[in-house]
Amino acid sequence: MSSRSVAAALRRAGLGGITGNPVAFAVVLAIMILLLGVPLAHNGYLENVFRNILMYAAMAYGWNLIGGYTGYVSFGNVTFFGIGAYCAGLLSIHGIDNLAVAIVLGALASALFAVLIGIPVLRLQGHYFAIATLGIGLAMADIVANLDALGGSSGLAVHQVDDAHFSIYYYAMWLVAFVAMVGTFLIARSKLGYAFVAIRENEEAAAVLGIWATRYKVTAWAIGAMMAGAAGAVFAPANGFIDPSITFATDANVFPIAMTILGGIGTVAGPFIGALILAGANELLQRYFVKAHTLFFGAMIVVIVLLLPRGLMWLFGLQGGVRTWAKSLTAYKA
Amino acid sequence: MHLLAQDLVNGILAGGILAVVALGFSLVWGIMNIINLAHGAYIMLGAYATYELFTRLHVDPFLSLPISFVLLFTLGYLIQRFLINWVVRAPILASFLLTFGLSLLIVNIALIVWTSDTVGVTTSYSGANFTLATVTVPWVKLYTLIAALAITGIMQVWLTRSKTGRAIRATAMDIGAAQLSGVRVPQIFAIVYGLGAGLAGVAGTLISLSYPINPSMGDPFLIKAFVVCVLGGLGSVEGALIGGLTYGIIESFATQIDVTIGTQHISGSGLQDAIALVVLLIVLMVRPRGIVGRATA
Repeated sequence: MSSRSVAAALRRAGLGGITGNPVAFAVVLAIMILLLGVPLAHNGYLENVFRNILMYAAMAYGWNLIGGYTGYVSFGNVTFFGIGAYCAGLLSIHGIDNLAVAIVLGALASALFAVLIGIPVLRLQGHYFAIATLGIGLAMADIVANLDALGGSSGLAVHQVDDAHFSIYYYAMWLVAFVAMVGTFLIARSKLGYAFVAIRENEEAAAVLGIWATRYKVTAWAIGAMMAGAAGAVFAPANGFIDPSITFATDANVFPIAMTILGGIGTVAGPFIGALILAGANELLQRYFVKAHTLFFGAMIVVIVLLLPRGLMWLFGLQGGVRTWAKSLTAYKA
Repeated sequence: MHLLAQDLVNGILAGGILAVVALGFSLVWGIMNIINLAHGAYIMLGAYATYELFTRLHVDPFLSLPISFVLLFTLGYLIQRFLINWVVRAPILASFLLTFGLSLLIVNIALIVWTSDTVGVTTSYSGANFTLATVTVPWVKLYTLIAALAITGIMQVWLTRSKTGRAIRATAMDIGAAQLSGVRVPQIFAIVYGLGAGLAGVAGTLISLSYPINPSMGDPFLIKAFVVCVLGGLGSVEGALIGGLTYGIIESFATQIDVTIGTQHISGSGLQDAIALVVLLIVLMVRPRGIVGRATA
């Protein structure tokens, strides 16, 4: 399948080429640039909310490369977030308090781990890949909880800058999300992106055409890991404390997936749109329903899967209105 | 030597529970091709049903087995009919996320109803045990194993002899051919998912006798259910039984690991998820179809 015919197939599916709808991408880019101004409001709460949105966006972009573009449903991307966070934590307890070093090290360590674990695990497909990746996240949480050098299950305190300079974490998280987004755009348009999509559409056919599937799958997984790892490296000092249950949380594994689906899977704008809506909604729920907010989040995931399985952007570009939409929902019924 | 025998017995006793845990999971996976991430939540509901019946109405946990089954079967049947059926033939991401969302929903409702406090079911025979040679066996765990074996036996007979059981097995083999022979597939899927949930409920009842009960108690059993299915072979009763017993024994020995390297103390009992992952990866690489699985499974 040539890159042109892949692009044509995507257009027919209403996805507007390999990077998705260009208008949506331009809008997201504009929102991103506007978000640079959030710290100017000098509102700690607001800054915190938007830093969380950017963090989830970076994780969603990381998942989108392997789950969205390459079609391998990973349920273990939180592992890389945790590795990034613990890199920052380790640097901090050894007296190195440099955010740039933490981000680079977190991203590289995550990528290295992704390559090492990816070579055996990416040979698995479908359910087996999904559960093996879920298991990796759980196993890492177990292992970290048992390592005294990493603070065990009681966690690590991570050094934080003083309040006057606290916005540095916001700008750092913004940069991570921005690089993840622009990186996704550039990767999707390159030979790499077309190879990912070819593997997703038909791995055997891709292999026949000379695409070395394992290499590209590991590449997609490792680049995605860098995005999550970098986000984790900023999260650790911004939060001031890390432990296995925060950094390897199964919820944090699944939220970015739900976000990517809501925004539009395998597009450049989708993960950010999804993160903005869902992380924003989660923040509001947390504020008004202290006890029940996770319940609502579960309900939102159910609603998204049942009513918006192809994402919001697909809905906006849909020809034929409510009828076509309702018809599309019954496509996978028994 | 006697420690070895004790570990072996402990493993078999725990393996019986794991077999029942995996049985429902295996049926849903093998027949509907759905990884049911809500399985742990149904186990938890079964355990709370037992707890409520025991503390409020003084129903013996073993007598509440059928009640757990019926309650959870009904819930599972309805959830399949009205929710999961919409995505049953969709790519795996849809059913994965949907069942995860359901699990979040159920666990958080349980947190509101029962809070996060840990409770337990303590019967008059809970503390009693007997000693055989040098091996100590708690009566409760022995009864649990017998119940687990009986449940897997009943399932095997029902699946091979009853009309519905045959229809289920036919659907697993070839949906199209089953449909042509007059099997109503949506109905069968709802029964299978109901069975999956019902068996999870039964497992929850058995678990409540020897493990603490709280809303997140089901989580560790989910990944184990998966490993047991892969280990034994997917979609068959004997696969779940053999996988469960084998994994019970493996885990019983692996959690005995206790070494100290420098100042770092490593204890297998804190690494149950890591053990599960290692077993999973080894089985997938060495014998992906499982111990009794067919080559095509």
